[in-house]
Amino acid sequence: MEGFFSVFTVELLNSGIRLATPILLAALGGALCNQAGVLNLALESKMLLGAFVGIVAAYYLGNSYAGLLVAMTAGGLLGLLFAFLYHKYKVDLVILAIAFNLIIVELTVFVMRAQFGNVGSWSDPSIERIPDIHIPVIQDIPFLGPLLSGYNIIVYFSWLVVLVMFVYLYRMRGGRHLRAVGENKSAAETVGINAILLQTLALVISGALAALGGAFLSIGHLKLFTRNMSNGRGWIAIAAAMFGVNHPVGVFLASLFFGFADAFSVRIQNVTDLPPNLVKLLPNVATLLVLILIALRSKIAFSMARRRFRAQLRAEEAAGPGD
Amino acid sequence: MNDPRVRKVLDAILVPLLAVLSGLVVMGILILFLKKPLFESYAILFSNGFGCKEYGNCIFITTLERATPLILTGLSAVVAFRSGMFSIGQEGQYLLGAAAAAWLGYAIHLPPVLHALVLMTGAILVGAAYGWIPGVLRVKLGVNELLATIMLNSIAALIVEYLVQFPMRADTSAVAHSPVIDTSAQLMSFLPGSKWGVGFVIAVLAVIGVYLYLWRTKSGYEQRMAGQSKRFALFGGIHSDQAAIRAMLISGALAGLAGAIEVMGVHRRIMTGFSVGLGFDGLTSAILGQVHPFGVFIVAILFSGLKLGAQLGLQLNLDIPRELGGTIIGFIILFVAAGKLYEENIARAREWSARKRGNPMKGESH
Repeated sequence: MEGFFSVFTVELLNSGIRLATPILLAALGGALCNQAGVLNLALESKMLLGAFVGIVAAYYLGNSYAGLLVAMTAGGLLGLLFAFLYHKYKVDLVILAIAFNLIIVELTVFVMRAQFGNVGSWSDPSIERIPDIHIPVIQDIPFLGPLLSGYNIIVYFSWLVVLVMFVYLYRMRGGRHLRAVGENKSAAETVGINAILLQTLALVISGALAALGGAFLSIGHLKLFTRNMSNGRGWIAIAAAMFGVNHPVGVFLASLFFGFADAFSVRIQNVTDLPPNLVKLLPNVATLLVLILIALRSKIAFSMARRRFRAQLRAEEAAGPGD
Repeated sequence: MNDPRVRKVLDAILVPLLAVLSGLVVMGILILFLKKPLFESYAILFSNGFGCKEYGNCIFITTLERATPLILTGLSAVVAFRSGMFSIGQEGQYLLGAAAAAWLGYAIHLPPVLHALVLMTGAILVGAAYGWIPGVLRVKLGVNELLATIMLNSIAALIVEYLVQFPMRADTSAVAHSPVIDTSAQLMSFLPGSKWGVGFVIAVLAVIGVYLYLWRTKSGYEQRMAGQSKRFALFGGIHSDQAAIRAMLISGALAGLAGAIEVMGVHRRIMTGFSVGLGFDGLTSAILGQVHPFGVFIVAILFSGLKLGAQLGLQLNLDIPRELGGTIIGFIILFVAAGKLYEENIARAREWSARKRGNPMKGESH
């Protein structure tokens, strides 16, 4: 049992935060799309695209930060393509997501093989990992120091996005318009809100964020690209967006939960002799349970709203005969 | 041309056909990027996917063998989609069905035909049970079935990997695999040296069975109505919840059967990396096949041919990565989804030809 408890350390929290980052970035993008009323199920493919484009650009440009920017641009452009196909040709977003999933899984390996001659994974010694940032004063605080310091720029950027998105959605005019579009598109359009523009914007930003999350995997965390590197994180991100009720802070907490589940399953493999396949089940089972929880929550909310409505009706009826 | 039934079939085929052609154009562009000979590539792709080298040595036979599980997983998706369940859980159901069949194949010993039947029944039951889970979660709690089935797929994949590497493992070879199943449980093949056999016949029967069930029986009708409009179904006294769960049971059963046939007819065992995305390919062939059993049958054969041609032909002969096949399939789905693009142009072309005949807009409505 001692081996089991030795799992819980600051390093666990540390790697939990790291592993939460790609999920968080994609989930924030997904939440933004949900708020704007466009279902973005293609986070997985945008992530994988970001992972691949990021490392390839880092290799050719000789700068990993430039790789991040190129990855974000690529993800944003894919989001733009989605918006175009969705608005112009009314393509079903679910099928679009499935098609792009397949195309990007296969096309990345296709290009990897054709360009670099590698089958399973690719890396090059010239590629540099995005360096970790050690914040001068904070890193010396006991316990909190190692928790807050020592991550790379993508992690801090993802925290910044949480803040910016919160301010935008709940404190700014544009954000209110965006939420109005998600609430009722035609009503928003009648009061002069450009719904198509806002939905396009949401898809582009979410593409860029998901791609950055992917690039975190290939040049921010490891230093290589492997076939299907995103490995379902995009789908988990969709669950995280739902779990966090599409609120930036909620999404942040939900992503941390999935990140810790992931980190926990990695750690536990090191200290116990449980079969790795079974331990790897943990994040997936956690996601499934969360999905059930989300459904239960909305079911309860629905029945409570109905009960309130009935109580109101009864109260009105009781007061009714008077007038 | 003027027979409305012929017209209906033509309308259904036109968009997928144009999508496939567009996909082949994209393939040409990718091949030109690699600076490989364009026309030779097409020739090699088709001769290695659909051709015959000489009498009795047909690659097309292998294509049919590869298409067998795809037809069944495609049918599985058709039953789910038609009933309003966007389940993409075929992969997981297929894997667990295969594992169940592999285990029953070596763990128990029975006389020939009976043993095969037991394997298939076992796989069908396991697949149906695994399809039931997302069905019930959807109907009782409202859990999104798309996300639930994605998670269940990963869970099934990890469980099967575990089973193959530990409890079911036959020896300590590099690639973990289970013991070979008894000959009494194996499915016969039609030609020596090929694995195209009884499994294909079962798949064809399943195509006909699913068609008859969905379009010629009361419960099938109920399921389709529940899929098209839940309210209308309710108005007509159909329990759409029950119909949805029934659909998921049948869908899971078909995918599980696909796994059993792959074990019994092709590999005779289960090993690591058993599934090569077959469940997902089934889903895509359902989409491209207009969510119709006959469409799935044709598209599954087409897909298998494209993949085989890319793998055996393009990769071995021209050194073009075999992922080209999958990429093209992805693009074809994209083009099908963007069907409006073609429909606008088809409508315009029809209008134009009708005007030329001095007969404006005749029969334009569906």
